[in-house]
Amino acid sequence: MRSADVLRLRFRSLFRRAQVEAELAAELRFHLDQQIDENIAAGMSPDEARHAALRTFGGVEQIQERCREMRGNRWIEQLLQDLSYALRTFRRSPTFTLVAVLSLALGIGANTAIFSLINALLLRELPVQEPSGLVAVGDPTRVGSLSTGNVRNDLMSVPMYKEIRDQNHVFSQVFASGRVGRLSVGIDPSATEPESARGRLVSGNYFSVLGVQAVRGRTFTAQEDRTPGATPFVVISHAYWQRRFALDPQIIGRRITLNKHPFTIIGVTPEGFFGDIVGVATDLWIPLTMQPQVNPGRNFLDRWDASWLLLMGRLAPGVSIEKARAEINVLFPRILKENTGSITEQLLPSPDRMHVEVTSGAAGFSALRRELSQPLFTLMTMVALVLLVACANVANLMLERAMARQKEIAVRLALGAGRARLIRQLLTESVLLSVLGGALGLLFAFWASKALLQLVSGNAAASIDLRPDLPILGFTAAVAIFTGVLFGLAPALRATRVELAPTLKESARSVAGQGAGGRWQLGKLLVVVQFALSLLLVMGAGLFLRTLRNLERLDLGYDRHSLLLLNVEPVAAGYEGARLETFPRELVDQLKALPGVRAVTFSENGIFSGTESGTTIRLPDSQNPGEDGFSIAYDCVGAEYFQTTGIPLAAGRDFELRDGPGAPYVAVINEAMAKKHFAGVSPLGKHVVISGPPDREYEIVGVARNARDHDLRGAVEPRLYVPLVQSTDIGTDINLEISTREPAAPVEPVRQAIRAYDPDLPIREIAPLTSMIDETITNERTIARLAVIFGLLALLLAAIGLYGVISYTIARRINEIGIRMALGARRSRVLWMVLRETMLLALAGIVIGVPVALGSARAVSSRLFGLSPSDPATLLVAIGILLVVAVFAGLIPGSRATRISPVQALRYE
Amino acid sequence: MGKPNDLVQGTLDLLILKTISLEPMHGWGIAKRIQQISQDVLRVQQGSLYPALHRLEQQAWIKAQWGETESGRTAKVYALTRAGRVQLAKELANWDRLSEAVNLVARMI
Repeated sequence: MRSADVLRLRFRSLFRRAQVEAELAAELRFHLDQQIDENIAAGMSPDEARHAALRTFGGVEQIQERCREMRGNRWIEQLLQDLSYALRTFRRSPTFTLVAVLSLALGIGANTAIFSLINALLLRELPVQEPSGLVAVGDPTRVGSLSTGNVRNDLMSVPMYKEIRDQNHVFSQVFASGRVGRLSVGIDPSATEPESARGRLVSGNYFSVLGVQAVRGRTFTAQEDRTPGATPFVVISHAYWQRRFALDPQIIGRRITLNKHPFTIIGVTPEGFFGDIVGVATDLWIPLTMQPQVNPGRNFLDRWDASWLLLMGRLAPGVSIEKARAEINVLFPRILKENTGSITEQLLPSPDRMHVEVTSGAAGFSALRRELSQPLFTLMTMVALVLLVACANVANLMLERAMARQKEIAVRLALGAGRARLIRQLLTESVLLSVLGGALGLLFAFWASKALLQLVSGNAAASIDLRPDLPILGFTAAVAIFTGVLFGLAPALRATRVELAPTLKESARSVAGQGAGGRWQLGKLLVVVQFALSLLLVMGAGLFLRTLRNLERLDLGYDRHSLLLLNVEPVAAGYEGARLETFPRELVDQLKALPGVRAVTFSENGIFSGTESGTTIRLPDSQNPGEDGFSIAYDCVGAEYFQTTGIPLAAGRDFELRDGPGAPYVAVINEAMAKKHFAGVSPLGKHVVISGPPDREYEIVGVARNARDHDLRGAVEPRLYVPLVQSTDIGTDINLEISTREPAAPVEPVRQAIRAYDPDLPIREIAPLTSMIDETITNERTIARLAVIFGLLALLLAAIGLYGVISYTIARRINEIGIRMALGARRSRVLWMVLRETMLLALAGIVIGVPVALGSARAVSSRLFGLSPSDPATLLVAIGILLVVAVFAGLIPGSRATRISPVQALRYE
Repeated sequence: MGKPNDLVQGTLDLLILKTISLEPMHGWGIAKRIQQISQDVLRVQQGSLYPALHRLEQQAWIKAQWGETESGRTAKVYALTRAGRVQLAKELANWDRLSEAVNLVARMI
């Protein structure tokens, strides 16, 4: 009741100000009149009475002002006053306002854009019930991985999941989810083209742990965990329901096929729910127990050595994440020990891989997080620096304006305005500028973050929501206000520190160095800081650009220009057994017949495809006891693999057609492996045993030169190649390598040839090697491009800052220059005087910037390639660029100075 | 007549609330009444009175209304609200406590 009254009064005095003021005046007038009446009654004349009354009353203005203060929302009133005053000033200088707001919008917008990505990928919580109680077990970035061969600590197997689920005491519930691989969906039986969807295999409690209820039908329950193969049910997302079924109300009970196996749709999830993976929206969920049905020919349900699940638990009441981490890390080795029957020695992870990551699951799983978090923080730092440079510029502009208003400020101070009050008013102006810039920046950021995401992750990230939410708005507001104060405070402090008498008397003709000297110092300082920061950014741009160039020109060990790569998925097309083994050969023969194709081969992992395999081997011929069972990178390849890819052989022979399933097992190793394990001896004729069961012994028949086939960075690791037809494990997909006669790859004919072979065989990817390599360095390219943009932006801003300060000095020294020229100084000398000043400022910035740049370059050294973070050439070029820019920034006002006519200059006021 | 005593710090609110608790009054009247009742000892300056009235009004302890005086002038007349009555009781209790304490110290032997 009372607070309502208080509020009403506040509003009244805010919005009915005129009336409140009139009432106040009337009230005081009444008091005065009463006093006059009393004085007259006491015998004074009316005039006398009036004067006496006024005397006793005191200052009416002061009383009124104190009454206003009592209204309690004085600061709002002052704020409104300041705001309207600021807006009026902006209207009077639209160019200044435009330049300031635009440069702030760019600076703040760039920061918001990068923050939006960080927010979406790293910070935002899943749209599920109580996300803060979720805990991820395993490496949350490995969402699409499957690894066989041994037990891992970053991904779990189905038996491991069951043990953890049943033995832990820290989670009230824990679910498992894993990749399906390619899903070929049959919705409409008449469709000829197989269509695909993104699915995820999940345990029965997946939806109950997340607290997601179906909007149609039901979600999975414990029933789906019971009998493998018995629950061909699928839950689809709202987005998929909308996209593919047009929100068909009869959706429940609809029958579809997944990789040719029939399934029934039993439920639809709520709108906005995209699963447990951030960045790739899941279309449909399949019970874990149906894995063998969607990956025909492969059954991971009972295999300890098939690691492909991520676990997410909900903390039991009163359990902290630390406690959960401790318990899981006690549990994991214990489970391994308890199951020595099924987990042989060879399947155990190495001792340094026993720690299981247990982290907050609130933000879900994401593969993009691993790729992008470090680049994003690098970019965040860069845009923050750009914003600082922009701030320095706006500060300089503000300062110049404040100096132009020096007289006005002096008058106001002389009239009794408080300095604090004036500073507040100037700050209101700068914060208003930055808030306007921030609002504009928000629009810019929305667009820029989308473009940026597209640039770094292609279409994969289309489902990431970048619309500004509360954290983004908060971040932008905080940055805007912080910038406003940052660039406003120094000018405001400086501008209000005036000596009244000299300023009021001062004319533009005053002797140099007086009055405006402080402005000069502060402006200089700002420009020096700008150049120091610019050096940082230009140096960074140089380092990233050269890294990109080094990566692009790296010698792979074979010709990168004549290879066309493609990936087909036989398992999704229903290939099994003998067909699975014979089809690669048939496909090779088909493709070889195409014009323009020189040779064709195939391999399990492909080249720069993103998948790699390892296996555990022994070297029986080695005398070294330490080389008994170690893991090595390997690939299963087709005949003529080396001849086709162009990887030269240092010794021995290539794989041939005769190395078939029944023939003696043969292997090729690379030079790195030969050097490490057969130092000084020829490896030809020696043997490699790939651990089984059963063990298989291969004879080494060739040594290939080292080649970079998956990674551009780091040393080439030892590698083993065996014929795919002699291997046990055939994956769900296979890669074909086509050597072409011309660099322009015949993509379409190849596609048609495969369709002619089997129209149902899905082609996942088909691209020349060069573009595959380009894809692996997308992040490097994006960073390099953005670094160049940010560097140029910073340079431009710094140049403007320098130009402004130099122009200002010349304007101040115009009399002096005029006198010098009248006394016979040559134009070149005047120009030199100006340029020297310019260069001194730039050099001061560079001198400060060099150690800072060298220090911060070390922080990004892991992102560099083929050059050291303190690369002298890059540093020198950066310094050179800065000096050139400084010269240009000084030349314009300098040449203007030389055109000053002495007569004019002496008259100038 | 000596110089009017400065009001004891913080008692102006109490005086105003008490004065208008008897009947609604305008600012002039309040000042006069305080002066009369205190036999010219307490004089409220306009510079303190009006800001105090406005503050009390903002706190919703008193409410103002425009009315006509006997002399035919319009004046802003203040009256106590219910919240103001509670506040007055509080201030009175406070004052009693304070003056008692001051007396105890001042009169100690």
